[in-house]
Amino acid sequence: VLFGTCINAIILLLLQRVLLLVASDVDALCACKILQALFQCDHVQYTLVPVAGWQELETAFLEHKDQFKYFVLINCGANVDLLEILQPEEDTFFFVCDSHRPINVVNVYNDTQIKLLVKQDDDLDVPAYDDIFRDEEEEEEEDSENESDGSEPLEKRRRFEEEVIERTMKRRQRREWEARRREILFDYEQYEYHGTSSAMVMFDLAWIMSKDLNDMLWWAIVGLTDQWVQDKITQMKYVTDIGILQRHVSRHNHRNEDEENSLSIDCMRIAFEYDLRLALYQHWSLYESLCNTCYTSASLKLWSVQGQKRLQEFLADMGLPLKQVKQKFNSMDMSLKENLREMIEESANKFGMKDLRVQTFSIHFGFKNKFSASDIVYATTSLMENIEKEGPETTNFIKALDSLSRGNLDKLHQGLDLAKKQLRAIQQTVASCICTNLVISQGPFLYCSLMEGTPDVKLFSKPVSLCLLSKYLLKSFVCSTKNKRCKLLPLVMAAPMDVEQGTVIMVGIPPETESSDKKNFFGRAFEKAAESTSSRTLHNHFEMSIIELKTEDRSKFLDALISLLS
Amino acid sequence: MPVRKHGQHMKLFKNKGKDETTLRRQRVEVSVELRKAKKDEQILKRRNISIHLKEENPSLGQDRAAEIVQPSLEEIVEAVNGEDTQLQLLATQATRRLLSRHKDPPINQIIELGIIPRMVEFLGRADNATLQFEAAWALTNIASGTSEHTRAVVEGGAIPAFISLLSSPHMHISEQSVWALGNIAGDGPIYRDVLIARDVIPPLLALVSPTTPVGFLRNITWTLSNLCRNKNPCPPLDAVLKILPVLVILLQHEDKDVISDSCWAVSYLTDGCNDRIQVVVETGILPRLVELMDCPDLIVMTPALRAIGNVVTGTDQQTQEAISAGALAVLPRLLRHSKSVIQKEAAWTLSNIAAGPSHQIQQIITCGLLPPLVELLDKGDFKAQKEAVWVVANFTTGATVDQVVELVRSGVLKPLLNLLLVKDSKTILLILDTISNLFLAAEKLGETEKLCLLVEELDGLEKIEDLQNHENDLVYRAALDIIEKYFSGEENINLEPQTGQDGLYDFSVEKQDFNF
Repeated sequence: VLFGTCINAIILLLLQRVLLLVASDVDALCACKILQALFQCDHVQYTLVPVAGWQELETAFLEHKDQFKYFVLINCGANVDLLEILQPEEDTFFFVCDSHRPINVVNVYNDTQIKLLVKQDDDLDVPAYDDIFRDEEEEEEEDSENESDGSEPLEKRRRFEEEVIERTMKRRQRREWEARRREILFDYEQYEYHGTSSAMVMFDLAWIMSKDLNDMLWWAIVGLTDQWVQDKITQMKYVTDIGILQRHVSRHNHRNEDEENSLSIDCMRIAFEYDLRLALYQHWSLYESLCNTCYTSASLKLWSVQGQKRLQEFLADMGLPLKQVKQKFNSMDMSLKENLREMIEESANKFGMKDLRVQTFSIHFGFKNKFSASDIVYATTSLMENIEKEGPETTNFIKALDSLSRGNLDKLHQGLDLAKKQLRAIQQTVASCICTNLVISQGPFLYCSLMEGTPDVKLFSKPVSLCLLSKYLLKSFVCSTKNKRCKLLPLVMAAPMDVEQGTVIMVGIPPETESSDKKNFFGRAFEKAAESTSSRTLHNHFEMSIIELKTEDRSKFLDALISLLS
Repeated sequence: MPVRKHGQHMKLFKNKGKDETTLRRQRVEVSVELRKAKKDEQILKRRNISIHLKEENPSLGQDRAAEIVQPSLEEIVEAVNGEDTQLQLLATQATRRLLSRHKDPPINQIIELGIIPRMVEFLGRADNATLQFEAAWALTNIASGTSEHTRAVVEGGAIPAFISLLSSPHMHISEQSVWALGNIAGDGPIYRDVLIARDVIPPLLALVSPTTPVGFLRNITWTLSNLCRNKNPCPPLDAVLKILPVLVILLQHEDKDVISDSCWAVSYLTDGCNDRIQVVVETGILPRLVELMDCPDLIVMTPALRAIGNVVTGTDQQTQEAISAGALAVLPRLLRHSKSVIQKEAAWTLSNIAAGPSHQIQQIITCGLLPPLVELLDKGDFKAQKEAVWVVANFTTGATVDQVVELVRSGVLKPLLNLLLVKDSKTILLILDTISNLFLAAEKLGETEKLCLLVEELDGLEKIEDLQNHENDLVYRAALDIIEKYFSGEENINLEPQTGQDGLYDFSVEKQDFNF
């Protein structure tokens, strides 16, 4: 059941006690915030359980299935046969809001227990029902049944149309249908990708119910920006969705503009902006941001001496004194900041960085609090994957969730600090991988493995951080290599996960090309490679292109992967 | 000393056996009717969903749909009645196609078009074999429906046309005619005898030769079996005498389906009066039937067993022929067969042999049938148990005292007494009858007391006493009769163990065996 027909079911849902199962990504947190706000205004009782992977999802379901009949799954559950893995009772219902694609076909066509929240204009390309499901034909069995039971012969018999031929025809058709079904499903399930951000879907829901608030809109923006920062959607999709959100932004924010008290802490204002694609620059120094933003660092090749030189030239070209550039952005001369964006852009163009300007949104509350949507994404991600243990497993999740509320500036600032550390760590790791030639071509893909003992390696045992690192590394590698064939290859990256248990975490990412459709085939490939080598692997992440495996099995697994993709 | 069997007694049991047969036949007929009714129901049901199916058809075989344009019913009528032979053929083909699709064949609609006489006419177009064949197939399928459908074909004049096509130079046309005639014969005794009167048998039998392909032979055998089928009246004797020698040959064939249908034909022929059994026995086919009765395939075993079962409902001499052919050697396996239908059928057969003279009963014992009989009585399916009770009842009626002792020693008493708890009063009466017979034998041996004790120890007395409260008057009287005759004298002693005469209640009886 898709979005349109789901509204009634959702309203019904608002009357029940529900269990919220939320995945650990920023988009999921944002969707969760919106839903919580909706629940709050309708006084719906709910229990929130964070789930980092399939195992936790199953455990959470088993623990709560006796108390709950209604489960809402955010950014998890769409891409597997939920009924198959959870074996729920028939009176259990799942509302699934998940950007993971492709959606499992059983989930799509189950119209009783599974309600999918999907935007109707999302291009799902689901195979037609008749192409993949078929009612069992009893006829053939009926025919053969009479044959051997020793009952009296019929008094009369009809001669059927070429019985034998017809039956073999039928069988052949059936075989052909099955082969075609396999093909269709293979095509459909081959690539993993992402649909509309769950936060945006949830916001749409609130809007349809006329319960949308400016806060919700901001979360929707952050959700979308998360997809962009994590490189989960195409540039095209990003721009389209920005356009959609922009209309909501002007609807919600125009009346505030002429009000004097719009600067109070309680009043927030969202603004559409063409901003610089420089990570966290408003909370950092321009210099640090330039050095630790993937786009600029890869374009200037900052890991090399020439790269550093180029950075100096770039700064000189802008006419910005190094002292100003290196100090806190907040403390920079106001006169310099006035035309900063234009100045940077102009120079960037000369240095081959034509896409330094991006469409995004910022939020203002109070006099001095201004954040760009990507700031929030970086901060929240870092809080969520914070490796300093501060309490039970769910602490990071709760903290990250809280940081999304306006009242929790301290948590947000802590997140920003962690994000800077993370970006620096990523940048340093990328530089060392490239300088020490750790990225090697395996034929069908590039491969890079982080050794135990590498600085910050622990950070990259976390999936989102590892994905960010992989993407930055691949972008940088493509800029650094002269091998044209290598520029077109995808990357597989491995990092130690749990030293005691001897496991590594591995992620595969699609090739870094201008026209990339962001579709990822590593999920299936990992599955097959693990199967054929009976490697001890765990497909625990909702992102299928992330896998955990025993360190000893890594080489045979890689061999299988190479021969599979060659 | 052998118990004299009254002629009347024996007749009674044979008749009882017969009753069973008649009952069985009736049951078969009822089930046939049910099957027919179900078929009609299916046709009705199918018609309801025909629109849906029409939509489905093109998607089923797109390539074929592209090749063949199915004309409308109106177009069919026009073409069939027209003079253009090409169109006639196309229309006949289209009709045949409609009638031979798996789902929802529009038999009624086709009949209503009034084209059957024309189709029959096409059967005579010796110059156009394709047209003949298509018409024959279409008419076959119309005749495969209800009696009304078959009548429409017969009244269209198809019988002589099909009979003459049996001799067509084209094998597929002759085969199709065999099939059509089989459908007509299968409708019932009336059309069967119309066919026989039209002399269908000689050309049909002429088709059987060592070179006849198996598929064709199956059709011929099935049609022959339909010509032997049905009673009231049974098929004319001269027809049977013509068919039998060919059946004997077909029973030697290697194909299971040919054998199966031949066996069914023989079973129909033996399902009648003793004269009819006699003509079958005289062909000398019984040893082969017994052999086939032992065949692991149900499709062969079932009709062979039925035929032998029918034979032993005949005279002592006919029964002896079956015994001499080795039937008793096969029956133990069949009594233990995994299918309860076979067990029941085997027990029924045995019951009729047990109703014979004591020397035949002796052969039952010699062939080791008592142990499987006791097992069946103990653990069989109820229908099979009922037949087993018949075996025991008939046995005790005709057996010598020694044979009865043998029966009791085989442990028959316990399961027999247990069956007194069933609801079916006919069975209860039969068991009480049997118990009386046992006591008669015991009296002759002067071992009544021991039998009393045995019955009591097996909780039989209790059950017989309870039957005095049975709602069925006959049961009540039979139970009372036994109690009064054999258990009233020592009633006080037996029923009230506390009276002090413990000596009588001696367990040693058990160990001594029941050796009267």
